[in-house]
Amino acid sequence: MSILWRLLAKYRRAVILAVALVMAFLLMTLQVRHDRAVVSFTRQAVLFLMTPVIKVTAVTVGSVSRVWGDYVDLRNLREESLRLTREAAVLQRRISHLEEQALETQRLQGLLVMREISRAEFLAARVVGKDSTNWFKTVLIDRGSLAGIRRNLPVVAPDGLVGRVVEVTPTAAKVQLITDPVSAAGGLIQRTRVTGIVSGSLGAGLKVRYLPLMADIVIGDEVVTSGMGGVFPKGIPLGRVIAAERRSGALFQEATLAPKVDLSRLEEVLILMGTESRDGFETGGVRQP
Amino acid sequence: MRVFLLSLLACAAAQTVLLDPLSVGGVRPDCFLLLVLCSSPRVRPELATIQGFCIGLCQDALSGGPLGLKAFTYSLLGFLTALLSHDLFTDKPLAQFWLLLVGAASAGALSFLLLSFFMGLAPLLPALWVIVPETLYTAVVGFLLLRLPWVRATLARAT
Repeated sequence: MSILWRLLAKYRRAVILAVALVMAFLLMTLQVRHDRAVVSFTRQAVLFLMTPVIKVTAVTVGSVSRVWGDYVDLRNLREESLRLTREAAVLQRRISHLEEQALETQRLQGLLVMREISRAEFLAARVVGKDSTNWFKTVLIDRGSLAGIRRNLPVVAPDGLVGRVVEVTPTAAKVQLITDPVSAAGGLIQRTRVTGIVSGSLGAGLKVRYLPLMADIVIGDEVVTSGMGGVFPKGIPLGRVIAAERRSGALFQEATLAPKVDLSRLEEVLILMGTESRDGFETGGVRQP
Repeated sequence: MRVFLLSLLACAAAQTVLLDPLSVGGVRPDCFLLLVLCSSPRVRPELATIQGFCIGLCQDALSGGPLGLKAFTYSLLGFLTALLSHDLFTDKPLAQFWLLLVGAASAGALSFLLLSFFMGLAPLLPALWVIVPETLYTAVVGFLLLRLPWVRATLARAT
């Protein structure tokens, strides 16, 4: 036993490195094998610890930006007189505040319109953080399982599909954007009713793959969700075709889409909690009759 | 230990919330990687490995990638940085910049290899569009940060 301890002590650097690498490798292997229990627990535990800090930072940054904006606005005012400057400063602050409110109202009106159109049950959430790497495209939202959010619920914005919920903690959730390299959704070319698989890529933009070789696809075609695949309901706008490619010898053609939603400027999103809609949209990955 | 945990929390907040305005073409500097590269040379290799693992695990949890990807990368990077690097905290700016550049490039390449192995994710060319800008951006930001006296003082205090 003492020999073992002596050996471990002697080679502790190598042992610690090996243990760390094996643990990381095991975590990745478990995830690839869809054994989610350990991975999900670890991920949620870290998320649970980190989310409060991220939320507080997001709120603080928002407040500081507003104060900074007010400060910049104030500096730009001409100092004609002390009284007028003070009045202008007060007015400027009010204007900034009202403008912010107006923009927010505009955005929320858009969300409301969408809600009325699709008659679905929605839950609004704020985006509080972005993906921590440049490899993947996810965002953190400020609603979690306490608000009824579950994995695989679709997330939308007024202009179209945003993505789906992939990780949930009690007070926050992670949304995989449609531009994420490992994201995929069934797509439908609206004009010709041809279906394909819309997936993200490492570069910007979306790709529609597995389109029939002879399908009629032109630049400007609108693409919506096809409803196939069991996660996204049919008819949510995905993007517009900006390029189509037929490679010689290929079995399928491919198109590049510009996403409908500006995913780099997301502030609020809607989570589709389930619906009584015409398309038989399912909840939590289980199709409703 | 306390400084390390605070730095980790600060990195998480910075990477997910604060760095978005600094994004150039969708690429942001990698704060977690900078934390690994800056903290490892000051500690023993075994501690640098554990620190790298924790930093990577946090980044994985906050990302859409597989859990363990960055933990693996940063464990190895932390170990190697601690073992090999004595130049990062010298006053030789060029040496610092090159070490940051090589470290960031190695982390990008290793992440790409692991992703390809586990997920068959992407051909090399699109991946280079992530690795190269991220490497350059991270190295430049790290280099500038290491020029700040209070950063150097904090790093010195942390060890």
